[in-house]
Amino acid sequence: MEQKWSYLVEEYRAMLYRIAFSNMKNRADAEDAVQEAFLRYMKEEKPIQNKEHEKAWLIRTTIHICLDILKSGWYQKTVPWNESFENAAKHIYLPYQVRDDETLEAVLRLPVHYRNPIYLFYYEDYTIHEIAVILNEKEGTIKTRLRRGREELRRNL
Amino acid sequence: MGIQEVQNQSQAPAYQKKKKAGRADGFQASFLQNLKNRDQAKHANTAVETEAIKAVADTQTGVQAKVDKVGMGRIGAAPGIRVNAAVTQEPLQAVEVRHMSYEESDHVRIAVTEGYTLKGKREEGEDARVYVEAKYEDGRVEAYQVDMAKVAGQTEHVIEQFALETMQEA
Repeated sequence: MEQKWSYLVEEYRAMLYRIAFSNMKNRADAEDAVQEAFLRYMKEEKPIQNKEHEKAWLIRTTIHICLDILKSGWYQKTVPWNESFENAAKHIYLPYQVRDDETLEAVLRLPVHYRNPIYLFYYEDYTIHEIAVILNEKEGTIKTRLRRGREELRRNL
Repeated sequence: MGIQEVQNQSQAPAYQKKKKAGRADGFQASFLQNLKNRDQAKHANTAVETEAIKAVADTQTGVQAKVDKVGMGRIGAAPGIRVNAAVTQEPLQAVEVRHMSYEESDHVRIAVTEGYTLKGKREEGEDARVYVEAKYEDGRVEAYQVDMAKVAGQTEHVIEQFALETMQEA
């Protein structure tokens, strides 16, 4: 059992951390969100059908935890300690070389309904269908958000 | 009181009738004149029109032949990637998509503002070939094999440039 959990953590930790960081924009909160997602997975009673379902479940749960933390009254009254958003992109260790940190930081500044589809599509290489399943939206909605998010990004850069 | 108001309203538009009648007369005269002019022009322009239609048809046939020859419709349909068809046809070949991950790729380009991503991997074998996978904002995924021996060093084509970068990275 312990092996299963350690495998799960090794498999998804890095990806979930990047997704959590893209929402929280600071290391400590991102780590808390990932930890909470793993805990919820362990307590989950409904059966997880397959690996794809498992991955989508973890991503969706991580995003929901992040959004819950961001919306909480406690979080809104606090200021992250000693964290500079200017270097936010440097905390996202992608498994490939990204030469354009400026664009990544601009993506992280987008509103949440554009940020998550764009981050998952471009930086985590998910398909529109997969993103629709993860975010529980229609494929058409994801396409629209990708297009509008890109337009907003161009205006911001 | 109420009856008077209704009667007054029914009398009010008298001046409008005059105006409409005047406009109708003007229209009729103009229409007749146009008919007359059209008959005259029809005979005069028949020869010119026939010649113009033939010229347009010839041009379209020529352009279509050129497009078929270079395969511009297939490669150039991708948004965000402008294809100089005359230059690009030779080294590029559309191939089956392998759904390669970022980790497997030798080189990755994420063009968020242009709406596409490119993944490149140098192929095994003696020939210098690069496999390039392009994913577009509308969900399409296309794959190309680039024959590096045929790529010009100063190419302006996005996929060929990316293939050159992949060769350097690999």
